[in-house]
Amino acid sequence: MKQSLNAILFFCAAIALTSCSEEENPQFDKDTFTKIYDNNQYDASNFAIDMRQTPDGGFIILGGRIIPGDSTYTGIYLMKVDEFGNFVKEMLVEGTSVNPIAGLTEYQTKYYFFCSDRTTLQAQIANVDANLESVAMTTVQGSLTYPAAASFIDNNFAVMGYNNADRLTTMSIVTPDAGVLAYKGFMIEPSDEVEEPIMDHFQRTGRKFPFAVGKAPNGLYYFNGFYNYTLSLVFTNMKDDEPNGVVQGSHDDGGFSAIVPVSGNKFASARFNFGDNYLMPTREIPTSGTSGIERLGGYSLPEMVSNAKVRILRASVEQNSVQKNVLIYGTDTKSKQIGLLYYDETTGEFINSRYLGFSNPFEIASITQTADGGLAICGMTQIAGRFGRITVFKLSKEQLQDDIAQAK
Amino acid sequence: MKKTTLLACFLLMMAVTVFSQDKKRKPSMYNKQKEKKEDVKFLEKQWWLGFKAGANTSKVNVTNRYSVISPSNYELTTISKKYDNFGLIGSQATLEVSFYFKGFLLSFQPTYQHTRFSYTTDYEWTSSSNENDRVQLSYYQEQKIDYAILPLIVKYDIYGNKLRPYVQAGIYSALRLNATKALSTSGVDYAAGGKNEFKTETIDVGVDDLFAKYHWGLLGGVGLNYNFKNHVRLNFDVMYKLGMSNITSTQNRYGSDRLSGVGDAMDDMKLDNLSISLGCLFPLRFLQSSLQTLDR
Repeated sequence: MKQSLNAILFFCAAIALTSCSEEENPQFDKDTFTKIYDNNQYDASNFAIDMRQTPDGGFIILGGRIIPGDSTYTGIYLMKVDEFGNFVKEMLVEGTSVNPIAGLTEYQTKYYFFCSDRTTLQAQIANVDANLESVAMTTVQGSLTYPAAASFIDNNFAVMGYNNADRLTTMSIVTPDAGVLAYKGFMIEPSDEVEEPIMDHFQRTGRKFPFAVGKAPNGLYYFNGFYNYTLSLVFTNMKDDEPNGVVQGSHDDGGFSAIVPVSGNKFASARFNFGDNYLMPTREIPTSGTSGIERLGGYSLPEMVSNAKVRILRASVEQNSVQKNVLIYGTDTKSKQIGLLYYDETTGEFINSRYLGFSNPFEIASITQTADGGLAICGMTQIAGRFGRITVFKLSKEQLQDDIAQAK
Repeated sequence: MKKTTLLACFLLMMAVTVFSQDKKRKPSMYNKQKEKKEDVKFLEKQWWLGFKAGANTSKVNVTNRYSVISPSNYELTTISKKYDNFGLIGSQATLEVSFYFKGFLLSFQPTYQHTRFSYTTDYEWTSSSNENDRVQLSYYQEQKIDYAILPLIVKYDIYGNKLRPYVQAGIYSALRLNATKALSTSGVDYAAGGKNEFKTETIDVGVDDLFAKYHWGLLGGVGLNYNFKNHVRLNFDVMYKLGMSNITSTQNRYGSDRLSGVGDAMDDMKLDNLSISLGCLFPLRFLQSSLQTLDR
């Protein structure tokens, strides 16, 4: 009897020793990952522009690539990765279409983006399926050239372009099948004073301007582009020839670096001014009349690189069974990391921060909330400190919740 | 499920074997010891307390490979980690508490084990148009993990009196106490106009979260006890620990930006460990005057 009891005790102790082991769950590998997409060709050079999640949990990444023998325009690069972040497929779109821009949009099982015809620089709307089987290009009707920013609004695209013949910033409403519903041009200059930096932007030989386009809650369309010699936020009803409102920057040295409408006249935005950066979460911006950007103030962040790229995402994060709306600012820091700064969308108060990447330099390209409630950040890194490669960070829903919960 | 069933059978068999020895051997043992019936009865059971220390070396068994680098034009296997199994020496210190009963010892041996293993990851970028456009890069990573090992062991003295060889088998649970990685980078850049060999300073990174808090395994081994002046045993012990569960944290695989930034993510792996220890054991139960144990 005693021996049996001892045997049972020994057995129980042994089972207890084995009971504590690491839980293995493939879901963990989907929830959180960091990936760098490498090509072992010395001269391979792709860069990320935008990213969208596909229904299978994977992602499509829109990027640019160097076209051999062409130093003027950027080729189109598409990549498909699976839900674990692993590379699945890439597509190097033929060089007849160039200069892809951000605003990759899912619409009716296709993913749309804008680019230009290499010869005429006429805007093209491209669509590709979720598995990158084929890409279709359609030239946009009318005279929309040099597309610079696009946004999907009310089942159509608002597209900002540049008319270099007449020195106009153009604003168009384009249907998914390349029809033009509305078009307006806004004078930049009669001469060539701003032409050079604008062309440098398109040819990637100079600064990349934070061109943006969208629709305010009050029904006005807006674009962040050049108007009257100056990088400005321009509001238009797409009917009148003159803008409804203009928030002027400072030539090409100051202006909005990102803007996202929140509600009413409130926007989440960021601005740059001669290298300095200011974040302005949930702030009223006048949509009529002419005003200056500097009076908007903002939180100055010296940790950001000069004239930093900024991406703003409105996200909904579950907290104690209640959805909390937060603004996530993604930007490049001087420490060569991608910085994420969380703000309360309602109050504009700072919540928390997170920094991604280390050892090699990292830069942000795109930020998106995933179907599982997590966050995906697409960017660039310099692998081995030399080779520019696309990278994706995936944060889980729990990590995002922790970031919001651990308010400083 | 199959593994769990096998384990349960193994444990049950071991437990039944040990604790049924008394019944099986009772008649013969009883006859042998009848002259000093009382003494022998007293000495049939003995507690031993001891300390031992030594060196160990490790081997990993990779179950799933992971990489931050996802190649777009070459096979992932070309940049898989290359493990240097049994290549580094660690150390351990053990406190042993054993209960002897008719040839068998049930032993609990809490151990502080410093474990080391390393791997390298190699990359190469080349150009099809210019053979001088070539860069080779190698990351060397050494893992140093401190574990509190909690083993439950059954030993059997094979034969002998003064010199007593034994075999042992058991099960252990390991609690991770501390983990660091030492990362160094080296490479050759042929595109610099010559053979530019470069090497970075080694950086140490705390990586507690990259390793599982607990893992478990089976163990087996052999050893030798030498009875020294009747009441002290010198012990030589060789033990092989067979890892049965993953030592990597599956949730924090990409938790270190410093490491994932250079393309490193831990594989899922089980850890085997071979240890050699020297030590001594003291009996805790004595006959009245002679400090005599069962060994004569």
